[in-house]
Amino acid sequence: MKLSYKWLKQYIKIETSVNNIAEALTMSGSEVGEIDSYKNDPVMELEITANRPDCLNVLGLAREVGAIFNKDLLLPEFIIPKQKIHKNGPEIICSIENDLLCSYYSGRVIRNVDVKAVSSEIKNRIFSVGMRDVNNVVDVTNFCLLETGQPLHAFDLDKIEGNEIIVRVAVKGEKIVTIDGVERVLEPPIVVIADKKRPIAIAGVMGGKHTEVTTGTRNILLESAYFSPVSIRQTSRKLGISTDSSYRFERGVDKAMVSKASDRAALLISRETSGEICAFHKTGTLTEKKKRIKFSIERAEKILGVRLKKTETERIFRRLGIQITARSKTSITVCPPSFRADLGSEIDLTEEIARIYGYDNIPREIAKFVPSVQRKETPRIVLEKITETCAGFGLNEIMSYSLISPAAAKLFTSGIEPARPVTIEKALSEEQKVLTPQLLTGMLKSIAWNLNRNNKDLGFFEIGKLYSRKNKKFLEIPVLSCALTGLNRKNWQEAERAVNFFDLKGIVESLCGVLKVPVKFHSNEEAGFQYSASVNIGKKTIGFIGEISPKILDKYDIAQKVFACQIKLDAIISLSKLESRHIAVNRFPSSSRDVSVLCSNQTAAENIRRIILKTGAELLRNVELVDMYEGKQVSSGKKSLTYSIEYGMSARTLTEEEIEAVHSKIKETLVSELNVAFR
Amino acid sequence: MTAKDTLEKIKKEFTEMIAGCGDLRSLEDIKVKYLGRKSELTTVLRSISGFSSIQKKEIGQYANLLKNQFAEKIKNLQENLGASRAKSEAKKIDVTMPGIAARKGTIHPITRVMNRINEIFISLGFGIAEGPEIESEFYNFEALNIPLDHPSRDAFDTFYIEGKQLLRSHTSNVQIRIMQNALPPFQVIMPGRVYRPDAVDATHSFMFHQVEGLMVDKDIKFSHLKGVLSCFCRSMFGESILMRMRPHFFPFTEPSAEVDISCIICKGKGCRVCSGNGWLEILGAGMVNPKVFKAVGYAPKKYTGFAFGMGVERIAMLLYGIEDIRLFYENDIRFLSQFV
Repeated sequence: MKLSYKWLKQYIKIETSVNNIAEALTMSGSEVGEIDSYKNDPVMELEITANRPDCLNVLGLAREVGAIFNKDLLLPEFIIPKQKIHKNGPEIICSIENDLLCSYYSGRVIRNVDVKAVSSEIKNRIFSVGMRDVNNVVDVTNFCLLETGQPLHAFDLDKIEGNEIIVRVAVKGEKIVTIDGVERVLEPPIVVIADKKRPIAIAGVMGGKHTEVTTGTRNILLESAYFSPVSIRQTSRKLGISTDSSYRFERGVDKAMVSKASDRAALLISRETSGEICAFHKTGTLTEKKKRIKFSIERAEKILGVRLKKTETERIFRRLGIQITARSKTSITVCPPSFRADLGSEIDLTEEIARIYGYDNIPREIAKFVPSVQRKETPRIVLEKITETCAGFGLNEIMSYSLISPAAAKLFTSGIEPARPVTIEKALSEEQKVLTPQLLTGMLKSIAWNLNRNNKDLGFFEIGKLYSRKNKKFLEIPVLSCALTGLNRKNWQEAERAVNFFDLKGIVESLCGVLKVPVKFHSNEEAGFQYSASVNIGKKTIGFIGEISPKILDKYDIAQKVFACQIKLDAIISLSKLESRHIAVNRFPSSSRDVSVLCSNQTAAENIRRIILKTGAELLRNVELVDMYEGKQVSSGKKSLTYSIEYGMSARTLTEEEIEAVHSKIKETLVSELNVAFR
Repeated sequence: MTAKDTLEKIKKEFTEMIAGCGDLRSLEDIKVKYLGRKSELTTVLRSISGFSSIQKKEIGQYANLLKNQFAEKIKNLQENLGASRAKSEAKKIDVTMPGIAARKGTIHPITRVMNRINEIFISLGFGIAEGPEIESEFYNFEALNIPLDHPSRDAFDTFYIEGKQLLRSHTSNVQIRIMQNALPPFQVIMPGRVYRPDAVDATHSFMFHQVEGLMVDKDIKFSHLKGVLSCFCRSMFGESILMRMRPHFFPFTEPSAEVDISCIICKGKGCRVCSGNGWLEILGAGMVNPKVFKAVGYAPKKYTGFAFGMGVERIAMLLYGIEDIRLFYENDIRFLSQFV
């Protein structure tokens, strides 16, 4: 909404500078953005909120300024003197098919108009707010719309077939060419104004080309109506057009202004075109039940936290057009004006007082807080810990869109939650259609982006959600995804090397170590992976880890190996322990023995480790794989795994004999169960 | 050779050996040879049990004296050699060579800002709550007094999934869920991801993050809202920051306000970032509309409360001087690695 400073001053006697007025309007709820100027007239650009259609016109804004600066409003001429009304017009019958569409419709006949360019007085006003001129009839209707907020439309009376005007719902397939020259095919629930033959306007939105007022027009019918906000909104949305008129109708115009604006426009049209004001035809009603609202200063003070003066409160109400109808000891009763449909309850009135009084004049206080219990292991804190730990391991956190393409959603189909994906009804594009069922495609997209920019050594993690549905329920599951690709860090001391599966597995193991959640890995065959392992807590699989298959990498033009994992976080969150429990350190020394196990290269290291742990039992403190060898020194198909086993007890020092005994037993068990040899 | 002669011979040998010793390893050998269990000195001391008592005393004393002298000399030399070893190795190191960098991971700027916002409110005594992103119309609109077919819904264009299920357009849905499940008093913030069907450009994204806050009790006032937000703004943007509240319209609060802070770039003088007016809008806020209390089954006359909400991307862009919202989701390592 644009507001000319000079135009504003036509309705209010005020010498305050435009900058101060702009500031005051901003601080009372109508935010002023840029201030331009038209022919030395400053023009403010205002943002009017959806609840204030009464501010979508100059008079309404003048009322606001009057309330803030305590000034009277100077109203324009609204009444047509009786002697000015000619009795010679044709009889027009207005009818409304359904009063849910329109509660009031009127047409004023004006005859013998001389259609030409409008006077400079009106032209300057409509130009100042960026509207173009058409002719003196159309320009007056636009002027009155801007002045009063009531949209008006003038038809060429002689082009209307018959003498009846109907407001009705469009018939499917009906057509109209609107004044912008576009042919529009209509259908319910679009509302039209029609003569006996065809639609002549789209109600409250735009007039028809056929009945448009042009230089050849002699007689006009001036429409002023109250269309239902909902039906205009539906019409405007259906057609995809929003006009100055529809914008106001859908927010609700002032019922008291509908006929006043018509008279005001008739007067101006008559002056501009020397036309004769003739008969006025109408149907429907504009009356509305008057609301009564009780307002207690005391309650307002309690909500705002500020002392209010009774006289000032009442003055603010009066200036805003809010009538005070009764007073009691504890409250007053008010009646909001017709143009303020947004004022329906006491809190609305409290807001009026607050915004005119000024939010700046309300003090700052701190409320009495009831402390909330802040536990350590809340999901959020565990997630923060995971984030910090992953960053501490040298990974960069990424964030990717939760909406992806249907093709991407199918890539890792077996996923960890086999369920149907969640799809958007009207997506903006194919790329943003499905709520992602995994975080891996976001990961690959980010890797590809960086590879294309020649950054090839990457370690990423993301904490996000997977979305799926199970039966009728929608699931949102928090997950962690990590990926490594390229070379390990290089420096002048150490040679570079390509990252591998075990770098990533180590990250997952260390992270779970930090969270004190015991996880296990089992070889599996995850869809979309070259090789992979499931990540388990007990018997429950919570995720997977592996090397992504080249088939999928090709889709992202990634030519290097990518290792990735995805782990559901709900179990991790509930099992994690952020605080430690102290265990007494061993007072008695331990003793280490190495053993090099020569076994088939098909033997899983985890099996060897398990046997060592089981056999060593309480005499064993730790087992660590310290070397793995495959090559010339062992026969083909074999590998050599060297374990360092630490023996010890918490109660005493073990003797050489005891250590030797358990160490031999471990070796024997390995031989009997896995058929291994020793080097 | 008498025992005395033997001791003299040992002393002479030892003195020569010590003089010629230049490294710790040979010093260790000397120590073993002259003070060890099988050293000559020990042999002499063992043999004196067969001597006369006078001799025993004389030889014994002398042997022990030598033993102490040897130990002293070895210790001194050991210290000297040790120190010079440390020095000679230090000389070999060029301390100007670069250190072996620890790998620096980073936390995404949105996470960082969100965590910071959370921290500030937690320190003020707020709790944290989260809710679903896939939500029903009731929680996203109706309960928040946003009617269907009303222009106030224009500000909340929405992705629908099917029927009345949608992707939440703000985190306000969590307000309703909290109030349905608990009675006041409480104060919580609700961080989360939200969606609106906006075409992506430098300042728009169809997905972004919000943090909302809600405090409800029997006597919560607008002045309390001002107090909490002023404390938040100064914690987040600096103690000298100014805050102002402008009346605005939100269906779920009344009175409602938009909250501006003095521009953190130009300090309120007016610049490109604040469109020349010295203020930056960063929050929406207000007193909970009694209609919302009614929707969740609270007695509207019994409780009052305030709510506020902010866009995390917007705050991150202001704090870090980021001009394109798309940077947050491209995950360019050159961008990410700046947020160490």
